[in-house]
Amino acid sequence: MTTDSVTAVILAAGEGRRLAPLTNRRPKPMVPVANRPLLEHVVEAVTETAIDRIVLVVGYEQERIRNHFGDGDDWGVTIEYVEQATQLGTGHAVLQAEPVVDGPFVVLNGDRIVDSSIVSGLRDRARDGDAPAMAVTSAATPREYGVVTLDGDRVTAIDEKPEGPVETNQINAGVYAFSPAVFDAIRETHATGELTITATLDDLAGSEPLSAVRYDGRWLDVSNLWDLLTVNAGLVDEATAPQTAGASLGESVTVADDVALAGNVRVGPNVTLGGSTALGSNATVEAGAVVENAVIFPDAVIGAGAVVRDAIVAGNARVGPNATIAGGPATVVVGDAVHRGVELAGVVGDNASVGAGATLTDGAVVGDDVTADAGVVIDGRVESGAVVRRG
Amino acid sequence: MCGITGYIGEGIALDGDADGTGGSDGAAGDGGVAGVGDIVHEGLRNLEYRGYDSAGVALVGASSGLTVAKRSGEVDNLTVPDVPDAALGVGHTRWSTHGPPTDANAHPHTDCAGDVAVVHNGIVENHEALKAELADHEFTSDTDTEVIPHLIEEELAADSEADLLDAVRGVEDRLEGSYAICAVREDDDRIVVARRGSPLVLGRDADATFVASDVTAFLEHTREVTYLEDGDVAALSADGVDIYADGERVERGVETVTWEADAAEKGGYEHYMRKEIHEQPEALRQTIAGRLDVDGGGVDLDVAFPPGFLADLEEIQIVACGTSNYAGRYAAQLFEELSGVRATVEIASEYEFGAGRSSDRTLVVAVTQSGETADTLGAVRRANAAGARTFAVTNTLGSTVTREVDDTAFIRAGPEIGVAATKTFASQVATLTMLAVAIGRERGALAAADARPVLKGLRDLPGAVQQVLDNEDAVREAASEYGDSEAFFFVGRELGVPVALEGALKLKEISYDHAEGFAAGELKHGPLALVTPDTPVLAVLTDGARADETMNNVTEAQTRGAPAIGCASAGEEYGTLDVSLPVPDVGLVEPLVANVYLQLFAYHVANDKGRSIDKPRNLAKSVTVE
Repeated sequence: MTTDSVTAVILAAGEGRRLAPLTNRRPKPMVPVANRPLLEHVVEAVTETAIDRIVLVVGYEQERIRNHFGDGDDWGVTIEYVEQATQLGTGHAVLQAEPVVDGPFVVLNGDRIVDSSIVSGLRDRARDGDAPAMAVTSAATPREYGVVTLDGDRVTAIDEKPEGPVETNQINAGVYAFSPAVFDAIRETHATGELTITATLDDLAGSEPLSAVRYDGRWLDVSNLWDLLTVNAGLVDEATAPQTAGASLGESVTVADDVALAGNVRVGPNVTLGGSTALGSNATVEAGAVVENAVIFPDAVIGAGAVVRDAIVAGNARVGPNATIAGGPATVVVGDAVHRGVELAGVVGDNASVGAGATLTDGAVVGDDVTADAGVVIDGRVESGAVVRRG
Repeated sequence: MCGITGYIGEGIALDGDADGTGGSDGAAGDGGVAGVGDIVHEGLRNLEYRGYDSAGVALVGASSGLTVAKRSGEVDNLTVPDVPDAALGVGHTRWSTHGPPTDANAHPHTDCAGDVAVVHNGIVENHEALKAELADHEFTSDTDTEVIPHLIEEELAADSEADLLDAVRGVEDRLEGSYAICAVREDDDRIVVARRGSPLVLGRDADATFVASDVTAFLEHTREVTYLEDGDVAALSADGVDIYADGERVERGVETVTWEADAAEKGGYEHYMRKEIHEQPEALRQTIAGRLDVDGGGVDLDVAFPPGFLADLEEIQIVACGTSNYAGRYAAQLFEELSGVRATVEIASEYEFGAGRSSDRTLVVAVTQSGETADTLGAVRRANAAGARTFAVTNTLGSTVTREVDDTAFIRAGPEIGVAATKTFASQVATLTMLAVAIGRERGALAAADARPVLKGLRDLPGAVQQVLDNEDAVREAASEYGDSEAFFFVGRELGVPVALEGALKLKEISYDHAEGFAAGELKHGPLALVTPDTPVLAVLTDGARADETMNNVTEAQTRGAPAIGCASAGEEYGTLDVSLPVPDVGLVEPLVANVYLQLFAYHVANDKGRSIDKPRNLAKSVTVE
């Protein structure tokens, strides 16, 4: 093995609990945007550079990842897998790659979409022995991320989700360049009980030069369910050609320009596919339905006459005939936090079935395997496996 | 069942851009050149799924002459000799038909002088008679193949002007049976190949030529391939190929292979079988893509029968072997129910076009994953000879069966490497179900309203299979709890019967446990005597499988102490089962979804026992001898 070639280590072991129910059966990196998993967008950013070896750190529901990426031939790279059996933290995740990485490497998050320029920037640092280095970018809401304090191009501190006011909008972009020496540094940090990679970087920043690579390109994070709609909308809009080849479209179907259709979807007559929409493999939209600003996963069925706006319909889910997810801003509750005015009208989990004429309103989140009877009105969160009856 | 491969050229430069991965096969360092021996060895590894009880190579170099190395065991056990000046080579991976897997019986075989070496796939049926004619030759193996190099030796001795090509053409007339052979000779810079009845495909690159039983052997090097036809003899050199048929020089078309060899790589999985089980949702999406018109109640398989043929159709005969035969049994019930045609299933090796049927009112449907299954091809030929219309359901474009039948429907499952068929069974049944609907609709036997629920079931099949895969942990637990039992009985009714048979076949193939599938009603007519607390019963309890009646039989077994594992329609589970595995509601294809549980059960039982899952003992993926 030559030591000047750079390996990319992509962290894809996490569950992504905030995206439940979408992550009840798949890890967050496998949530699709524009009909491809988040992780595939990351892998492509890597393959557009000269990096041709990728190590995926996998854990939660890892079969989905192994199944999709195989040995990497479809992307012209070698993909290897290491397992992080329990998701203890990002530093711990990086450490799992130690047995298969003995040269310089870059680290990326498997659920953040970035441009290849950031990858090649850090690859050059890694290759030139200029590690450790980290990418920083600006964010409108820096306190939700790791806030980075800079002295020129040198990082002096990283504060993870600080409570008080912050003096900078520079945040950790989650792309790093390392040499194998970092593994020992991670272990030292671990000894103090901290298992995140940022804790190790913060330790390093105090003792040795940790350089920053400034980045102002695309940096798309799907932290919350509603982010999926905006990120999807951006990516389907970027597509240079209409992605409808091979789809079977009925009579009088209206398809907006920014719609991505997998090759084997079925769209019935008089359907309107509004903008910012992706329809996954083997999905069906029956006659007269209206789908707009929506992410429809593989195998889902949207019944005749249904209206699905500002919504996510997960794998193999059923939205019954004339069911309505009317769209518009909503209030969504995630855990103990209440998010008001978000552009997400409803979510239907994997294999869930929403009966004919049912209505999802005000950011309803229907869990996976839920059966909701015809005509019900759902406006909150329905736990997985529940049965919703009228009355 | 055997695989042969050959290469002639100057070696292949390895990717020299220091990718850090190194030469994974240790063939040569980065930036070096893979020699003839390395390329042949690699081709054998790619073909290993066709058979693997011995392997060998023959290399020819201008000064080194002919070098042969062979031994019993897997391809990796073979050490390919270092022959720096080798200009061409052939290799063979063998699955025993004549003689046990020993070093002597491994191919290549040579003549008395050691100047000619031959690799062969197929059977020389008259080898006993030929051996008698070659009484003054010295034979060193028990194989039928060994007569071929000695016959070549005789041809060469009889005419001093004759070269290797002439000799192979002469020998071809004397061989009976099926074969694909590759012959090489000291001081000859060509590989001479011949095909009759066994698959053989040529690959062309800028300054090299490949030959193999299957394109997977060389797909990483070239996608430009030529399929030889029966009776062809070809001389291969580094600059091209000369093909002869009936003594005349002929041209055969060049096709470009578009599917990906990488689909045939194991990727992140420990076994191909588990990978292929998990690929079923995507394989099924491909199977049905563009073919279902759910609203219209129609199917488009892109097949056109002659006018009036289907209206007059009296019988559909399905011919197939092994797992494909069980797919056929599933389909036969659907042909009767949906197409309104009498349907029978025959084991291909036993098939004859029997009396009492009219050949122009019979459709013979051959089901074969590889399209090369010798028994099934034989049945197709007998059906063709009788004048019946023939139809193939296969996974392999360009395979022999597609050239011998009137029409073909491809199952589009993608390459399957594990010897135990999994995703191809699912895609075969889905394709046959579409065929049953298409025929029923065209004959007017099936109303659109009755077709629609079947088509909806097919449309929903990929998602339903994904749900079962998401529930793998439950199967893994059942396998670890019950895997060490004495025997396993699989039962079902109606469409559950072929699934029970297939479930038992999977388990015995890969775990070597005693497993049997029955029609549930038959349990009390004998097999119940075998039931003990140490013989779990696995039951198909879904739509299309008369679940309640089957459950009565399961209860009979439970009364004798047997643990019961049931795959039951979701929402209609039976509380008395020891393990209940829910099957999503997809109507007539529910038993097919239940089968995914049985595949996972077989896999985990075998994996817990450390079996050689992808290459079970004594079995080969593609059985190309009768």
